[in-house]
Amino acid sequence: MDEKTLDIIISRYEAPAGRLLGIMGEIQNQEGYIPRETLEILSVKLEVPLSQLYGLATFYSFFSLKPVGDHVITVCMGTACHVKGAVKILKALEEMLGIKSEASEDGKFSITTEDKKFTLEIARCFGACSMAPVLRVDGNLYGYATPENLPGILAEYGWERHEN
Amino acid sequence: MTHEEVSSMGTAAKLVTVTINGKKYGADEDEILLSVAVREKIAIPHLCYEASLDPYGACRLCMVEVVRHGKREMVTSCTTRVTDGLEVVTDGPEVVKHRSILFELYLAEAPKSEVIKAMAARYGVTKTRFLKKIDTTDSLGNKCILCGLCVRACNELMGAGAIGFVNRGPYTVVNTPYFEASRDCLGCGACVKVCPTNAVEMEDQKNERIMKSWSNTRVPLAQCDCCGRYYAPKALAATILARVTPSLKEEIARCCPECRGKLIAKKEILAKTGGAR
Repeated sequence: MDEKTLDIIISRYEAPAGRLLGIMGEIQNQEGYIPRETLEILSVKLEVPLSQLYGLATFYSFFSLKPVGDHVITVCMGTACHVKGAVKILKALEEMLGIKSEASEDGKFSITTEDKKFTLEIARCFGACSMAPVLRVDGNLYGYATPENLPGILAEYGWERHEN
Repeated sequence: MTHEEVSSMGTAAKLVTVTINGKKYGADEDEILLSVAVREKIAIPHLCYEASLDPYGACRLCMVEVVRHGKREMVTSCTTRVTDGLEVVTDGPEVVKHRSILFELYLAEAPKSEVIKAMAARYGVTKTRFLKKIDTTDSLGNKCILCGLCVRACNELMGAGAIGFVNRGPYTVVNTPYFEASRDCLGCGACVKVCPTNAVEMEDQKNERIMKSWSNTRVPLAQCDCCGRYYAPKALAATILARVTPSLKEEIARCCPECRGKLIAKKEILAKTGGAR
């Protein structure tokens, strides 16, 4: 993110309460993640220690420190979805995208495909339990998901099956 | 009139009487209950209390029972200020029960901490029913209880803000941003000093100090012009020198504390004897 855009964002937040989260939220929305250089510049501009900003960025699941793919798939792992087979959905997606979830050190779940097309994430509850299991692709919600109807959903976002 | 107003007038704070475990003790009004107990040598286990920082109540070990308005309640003694007639029981059955569970939790959270093992043993807790959290790559040697004293000392006392909490929940650790050597670290070692479980490690090697727990941040040390010894981190010395008056700065800038003392003594003697040897 260039400095000018950052200055404009900062100028929108004058009140100290919620300032950091507001600014970081806008960076996340515009860039899709929080670039390290932007966080470092922000620390200097606001005179807030980098350690504090980094703490916020790693605390909230809303923030990502890694660049995400063109399309973000979020699988709901809330109680209702879990009971209705969210784990199966997640496994099916991993297989379709050719990625493997591994134990992360930060507790955040976010994997991006090598071609940077898709990022797979999990969330705790969307509040759409009546349609469980649900998933979200770029903000569009899909209910009653099954491993069988996933290819149809992902095809809308340019997904193709790679035979290997 | 508030306590602060009274103190600022130079008059002594109002004296009050508190009853701890049935015995009466004198204390200043609004004094922290835990510090009264420490002064009177009444044992209350505690980890996160640090007099130079505001009371925080993070570790919960200093829980005691107080009677207020005829009602018993459990409070942390480090965040409770004494009032006249306050009644305190430090080892009632409920306190003992809570404390034991806390010790078990701490034995699982920081299984390598000798401080916690010894403290827990003193209160009869030697085993934990919880899963011990052992991570061989932990830079704090599985001794950290996340009380945050080091973070606060770095931020609030030193104004450096080199370290902070990273991640959340069971993944929370204290470290530098991006787990890389910090540019903000002064190398003052306040974090090492305040750590209640001796988890933070640093080591001086010749001309630099290595903050082992903080992503091996290396801080250059200043060398004494007189004896050649490395005596303090350069950045820390600069921060302190910026606060002293310029005339004094000249005198103390280049030497270690010992040489400084010798130099000043020598100067005084020379002034008294008029330069005669």
